[in-house]
Amino acid sequence: MTAPSPNKIVGEPVDRIDGQLKVTGGAHYPSDVGYPDMAHAVLVQSTIASGTIRAIDTADALAAPGVFAVITHENVPELVHEVMTPFGPSPRFPLKDNRIVHHGQHVAVVVAETLEEARAASRLVRVEYDETAAILDIDDPRAQVTTNPYEMDVERGDVEKALASADIVYDERFHTAPVTNNPLGPFAAVARWDDGRLLIHSSTQWPVMERHVLAGIFSLDESAVQVLVPYLGGGFGAGLRTWPHTVLTALAARILDRPVKLVVPRPQMFTSVGHRPETVQHLRIGATSDGRLVAIDHEGTSTTGAEESNLEPITVVTREAYDCPNLATHDRLVALNIPNPGAMRAPGHAEGSFALESAMDELSHRLGIDPLELRLRNFAEVNPQTRLPWSSNALRECYRVGAERFGWHHRNAEPGSLRDGEWLIGHGMAAVSYSWWATPCRATLSLGRDGGARLRAAATDIGTGTYTIAAQIVAELLGLEVDQVHVEIGDSALPLAPPSGGSGLAVAFGGAIEDAAAHLVRAFLDLVRDDDRSPLRGRDPDEVIATNGRLQLSDDPGVGESYTAILERHGKDELSAEGETDPTPKAEGMTMSPAGAFAAQFAEVRVHEELGLLKVTRLVAAVDAGRVLNEKTARSQVAGGMVMAIGMTQFEETAFDPATGRITNATFGDYLIPVSADIPDLDVVFVGEPDRYNPMGIKGIGEVGITCAPAAIANAVYHATGKRIRSLPITIEELL
Amino acid sequence: MGGASVVGRTTVTVQVNGQERRLELDSRVTLLDMLREHLELTGTKKGCDQGACGACTVLLDGRRVVSCLTLAAQCDGREVTTIEGLAPGGELHPLQEAFIRHDGFQCGFCTAGQIMSAVALLAEERAGSDAEIREFMSGNLCRCGAYPNIVAAIREIAQQGGGMP
Repeated sequence: MTAPSPNKIVGEPVDRIDGQLKVTGGAHYPSDVGYPDMAHAVLVQSTIASGTIRAIDTADALAAPGVFAVITHENVPELVHEVMTPFGPSPRFPLKDNRIVHHGQHVAVVVAETLEEARAASRLVRVEYDETAAILDIDDPRAQVTTNPYEMDVERGDVEKALASADIVYDERFHTAPVTNNPLGPFAAVARWDDGRLLIHSSTQWPVMERHVLAGIFSLDESAVQVLVPYLGGGFGAGLRTWPHTVLTALAARILDRPVKLVVPRPQMFTSVGHRPETVQHLRIGATSDGRLVAIDHEGTSTTGAEESNLEPITVVTREAYDCPNLATHDRLVALNIPNPGAMRAPGHAEGSFALESAMDELSHRLGIDPLELRLRNFAEVNPQTRLPWSSNALRECYRVGAERFGWHHRNAEPGSLRDGEWLIGHGMAAVSYSWWATPCRATLSLGRDGGARLRAAATDIGTGTYTIAAQIVAELLGLEVDQVHVEIGDSALPLAPPSGGSGLAVAFGGAIEDAAAHLVRAFLDLVRDDDRSPLRGRDPDEVIATNGRLQLSDDPGVGESYTAILERHGKDELSAEGETDPTPKAEGMTMSPAGAFAAQFAEVRVHEELGLLKVTRLVAAVDAGRVLNEKTARSQVAGGMVMAIGMTQFEETAFDPATGRITNATFGDYLIPVSADIPDLDVVFVGEPDRYNPMGIKGIGEVGITCAPAAIANAVYHATGKRIRSLPITIEELL
Repeated sequence: MGGASVVGRTTVTVQVNGQERRLELDSRVTLLDMLREHLELTGTKKGCDQGACGACTVLLDGRRVVSCLTLAAQCDGREVTTIEGLAPGGELHPLQEAFIRHDGFQCGFCTAGQIMSAVALLAEERAGSDAEIREFMSGNLCRCGAYPNIVAAIREIAQQGGGMP
């Protein structure tokens, strides 16, 4: 280890280093890629939810101007259909046979010289179906149900016994609507084959995983596949799977032996790249009259596609939320004839914490205890499941600072007690912890004659700020300016990295960069180990610090020399070092519980007494994010989660027609995401200390912003109106 | 080559970012696809292709339009300004600088549309208050949720006198 860095760059609100490219239109997203002889592909999707294709007539489409090929289940070449990933098998390949398992399933891909020609010809593909009864309702008894699907169910103590002896038993059900990620950038793939090698520009949050899946499907060595995604127009989890449109684009390019581009049109974004599934939940909580939780039983059921898997751990959030001795959590998965869901920002947790934190609020009102006080009385000093001390936990400070900024303690707790004319005003709060998940990460760091550093890894920046925080970490550890660091990511050929997802990339990437920087400093010292002309001759890393582009003795700053002087004297263009980290908590031998981010959010709403209009007028989030890497981008990321939470709470619902399974609102005109006028000023404040588990002290913050806002808003609605809404989104009808 | 199209073709002469461009196009080509696929000006984005997200906002004769709902053929003899034309000499427009300073974007996909819309907003003199900015920027969706920062960036430039070129 090098001595502690004297440079203060990490944490500073540095402007995004990719900002100039993004404000000038110079950042290239997968849908921006073009090749001179590139063909365009358009998907044809099923108009039934369940059944088989009796006949598919492509003659007219093939005869249309400019059309090169129409690929259907009848002429698709043999491929491998299932490749295992950390999120389960790759999604069902829709052309593997003539069966239809959901409305909007791809049944053909039309490839033509121009986009206009491909689109026109796609309307000429005629499909005849033999329709069978679709299973579309989460309560349909015919639906296949999987219990404990993720093997994450937990039981501790004796829940039934504790409920029987509790002073008060809370027992309610919750519902959350399916919602759709809808990153603003439509997912796209541009594929080209060269001598048996596949190069694909693709909307993915995980290039290394995409490479693995595509190599598996096309029976290639992983080294024969390269996935590029320097910029991605958002993902919010949609980019964690390799979806069939990507496979079909690569396939079309192979068949035609020319580059092929496919951009998923907005309506097809609802059926092609996942969504947050519908959930129903049942919560039972037992408490003493002075507000001590004695039992929690949380059951969560979510929907998935027929013949699909999905990871939607709804009740996981509950097991570590409070110090409660008796607890049971169970998840269930119901397979329906719907498009395959997938991860969407805080999958499971966003829905589960809505139920748990609404229930805590309701319990506090029944007990006559302030909602914040009830939470403090049940604060988990240690991880309540493992009984290990947290690696960090500033949740109490989140409560205190958030309450102060919001003015929580000045409120009249009585529902319906605040008003401004016809507007009823309410205050609500909720809290959560969101632990991170990451896979091993590597990074290569080099430093050259120009004094600049180059960092390389197959990580991605989906808008989170990865480019910028990585440059800041390198600059701080090597003693450089941020603009001397060149960050190369978004390429599967670079050293392997985890996804932008699970709030884990910063944790893993930060660790790998730290390791690489330590190795690089050691490499410089090794180079001058026997160098008579070097003032650093024979010195060890723990004796030196890196600052101002040089290495110097920590106890005698005048003794040292610049990286460039060392390189020049030794006739080297650059020195390079590898770093790696495996942040995965070990199954045994842990002495602490690796903590994720903690947050408390406080909401103020206005509800119009006559019209039922709901407006969120204030939202305050106090977040224990461990070591904040960039105060500007971190605040933006948390605020972005809060905006998405407002959407989930007030507007968003993917509406499936109950008769046909067709999504009836698959446009931005009908599926409402928040617009500027819906969003108040958002107050995000960071509290806490660097985490002890991770070498850099980092905890991910990609998802914590969305996890407690829905309950905070719903609790504020209750305080305003006296109406307890246990389903999302909260609609006008419910408030009239 | 693909077969000759049975649909019409059209010749368009249009000023794009101050340069005269003459194109022969399939008459179905939108202004957005003309910019992206035929002029390689990919800074303007296609977010929905239905006029609902604002990512494709450009200035047509100085007014903001969604280029996905504008046919290229409609632009004959007219002037188009895209994000690439906002900083011609490499010197950023004050709004571009303010978007960077206030972190008015995350993924950056909506940013060109947001900035072009904001340029027009200032010209329309509709940036007099936060409420006005929010209202008249509500045709530009941002899924990353950068709205408060976008409002802050526009507010700052509006207060400095609009940053009009």
